[in-house]
Amino acid sequence: MKAYVLGAAVLMLAALPAGAQDASKGDAANGKRVFVSVGCHYCHGRSGQGGALNYPAPALAQTQLPFDGFKGVLRESLRDMPAYVEAVLPDKDVADIYAFLQSLPGRRPAKDIAILNN
Amino acid sequence: MPQRRDDSPVIGRRNFLKGATLAGTAAAITASPPAKAMPAPPADTLKAALPGPRQIAAETQPPVKDPATQTTSGGDFMVDVFKTLDIDYLAMNCASSFRGLHEAVINYNNNKPEILTCPHEEIAVAMGHGYAKIEGKPLAFICHGVVGLQHATMAMYNAWCDRVPVYCMGGNIVEADKRMPGAEWVHSAVDIGALTRDFTKWDDQPTSLQHFADSAVRAYRVAMTPPMGPVLLSLDAELQENPIRDAETLRIPKLGKVVPPMGDSGALAEAAKLLVAAQNPVILCDRLARSPAGLASMIELAETLQCAVIDNVGRMNFPSRHPLNMSFRRGPVLGQADVILALEVNDVWGTLNQFSDRIVRSSRPVAKKDAKVITIGTREMLIKANYQDFARFPEVDLAITGDGQASLPALLEQVKRLVDDGRKSAFAERGKKLGAARLAMIEQAKSDATLGWDSSPITTARMCAEVYVQIKDEDWSLVGNSIRNTWPHRLWDIKKPYQWNGVSGGSGVGYNLPSSIGAALANKRHGRVTVAFGGDGDFMFVPGALWTAAHHKIPLLYVIQNNRAYHQEVMYLQAMAARHGRGIQNAHIGTTITDPNVDYATVARGFGVHGEGPITDPNELAPAIKRALAVVKRGEPALIDVVTDPR
Repeated sequence: MKAYVLGAAVLMLAALPAGAQDASKGDAANGKRVFVSVGCHYCHGRSGQGGALNYPAPALAQTQLPFDGFKGVLRESLRDMPAYVEAVLPDKDVADIYAFLQSLPGRRPAKDIAILNN
Repeated sequence: MPQRRDDSPVIGRRNFLKGATLAGTAAAITASPPAKAMPAPPADTLKAALPGPRQIAAETQPPVKDPATQTTSGGDFMVDVFKTLDIDYLAMNCASSFRGLHEAVINYNNNKPEILTCPHEEIAVAMGHGYAKIEGKPLAFICHGVVGLQHATMAMYNAWCDRVPVYCMGGNIVEADKRMPGAEWVHSAVDIGALTRDFTKWDDQPTSLQHFADSAVRAYRVAMTPPMGPVLLSLDAELQENPIRDAETLRIPKLGKVVPPMGDSGALAEAAKLLVAAQNPVILCDRLARSPAGLASMIELAETLQCAVIDNVGRMNFPSRHPLNMSFRRGPVLGQADVILALEVNDVWGTLNQFSDRIVRSSRPVAKKDAKVITIGTREMLIKANYQDFARFPEVDLAITGDGQASLPALLEQVKRLVDDGRKSAFAERGKKLGAARLAMIEQAKSDATLGWDSSPITTARMCAEVYVQIKDEDWSLVGNSIRNTWPHRLWDIKKPYQWNGVSGGSGVGYNLPSSIGAALANKRHGRVTVAFGGDGDFMFVPGALWTAAHHKIPLLYVIQNNRAYHQEVMYLQAMAARHGRGIQNAHIGTTITDPNVDYATVARGFGVHGEGPITDPNELAPAIKRALAVVKRGEPALIDVVTDPR
């Protein structure tokens, strides 16, 4: 599923106009607030750990998607995911969410967590 | 027609005669001709007719005795019938329309089947649902045939969809002249079975005790013959309560051995040929294994073929950590399949297609167009017109009608007969690759579980891992799960026949808690540690089930995944709002369970159940689970309220 989302996002990226917003300008603190206020965490989890709607929703912590691909998925959406139009989620907020996701701690080595090794 | 109470007094007739006499007297008193009126009739026409011998006898002899006691009852005989069916429990919420049977159970047969007191009929049936999937046989359930049955319908529909036998009965008062004014009229119906006929296998309203015996045994056999399902008997109150009149002629028919239908041997041979010749065969399974034999056959077939297995987890079909278990890699596996064998899969189309819930709903196949699809199952043996639980029609190359589990040994034998050394070698190579992929999936699952490990609200992965580490060395049984919580099947070593028992079938909310209690009841006699996860929304439908667990001392560790919402609906509403570009700020209205937040541990304590929580700090989980497990191990239920991230 994750691979599918990534692939589709890359296709969308190719269709996007040049000059897409620079993700590095995002405000991670505001991104965290918006991530929750617009309900991204409903499917993807507050820690970007992933979840499920009618099928698995991918983990987004430290997402490997390039920013424009990420924004493309948000605007047009894939399968059952809600699409967030500019009026609902301005580009600035998208950049902030992206910055927040990049700021998340992401995965830890599973071997460091004893109870995951049963 | 149901028997009349043979010792009931003939009060009606007696009063009628008295009334006639009084009327005659009154007529005589008013017989004086009025001053100016119509001409008076002849005086003799105003007198009552002269009494005949029967009337004289009725007037002069002592009144017919109105007996206050009886020595036998139809209910006693009904209990004798249940004894032959090996029914251990009778779940109910007490009601007058079956007071005859109720009294017979508790006094004539020393509370056997043991009565389970349930505060709602939906709870009683759902308990039977969970019980049957662990114990392999039904418990009995009885209710008011009209109002109680309406409460029970959702749970009966779940059992129907999940192909689970629940032996349902409803009290009724069939004869109109026997109904007391008031409640007995609104609680009676000509045909109570009409309400549930679309989702029961069979129903009947016996009109004599012999009829009851025949139908009671038939109902059991029908319920237990795959495809299994709920059945309903309407029990006339007169039949339950009145003395037995024909004891010397009553007999209880024998049940006999119930043998499930098997797939055609020629068709199974054809299926075996396709499977053995395939490069990438895949086995799909859903409501397949109902006993240890089914699980063993499934493992043997997969290992003989060394092929991928995708388990839709409708039953305990296949070990979660088996090297051939590709349930969490289904896309790529199905994309490469050239032969697909679907065993008791209800929704074959849904498994083989990817559906998109967008403005224009669309789908695309996930399997190759030329992949051969074989089905073995009983779906088409039990299909009705109205409710659409049969799912979309799948295109299939070979549809074998027969019970999946019963057909597996014959299929396996055919497969083994066809496997030569060349194929064995190819199979081994295939199995090796699948095994490597499985190991990678397990590592991926562990890695995924680390995301947000220390977060609050707690991740569902952390919640499941914390429970597993404390039960893994016990003889445990997982009997319930919250919606789309895949972590137990991703992280836990689920391999014994009773370590998983599927889901609701009809996705009717209010199933998980009572069905888990029913499954725990079945596990109790085996000394297993029963655990279940369940959503807060599901709990809110049937919290009273906890009282039943406490009252009957049913040990169960129930972990509430408390995301404070009917979360699937939050997401759907979010999707609707986003579709209109209106933002999702209002998606919580009508979908969340907040303001106030529910304190489930306190609710549990109110029902006499040990309660822990609400737990928001993941580090507090382990000690809470330990305390709760200690309660469960001493034979009582316990609840842990875990405040989690949505999914």
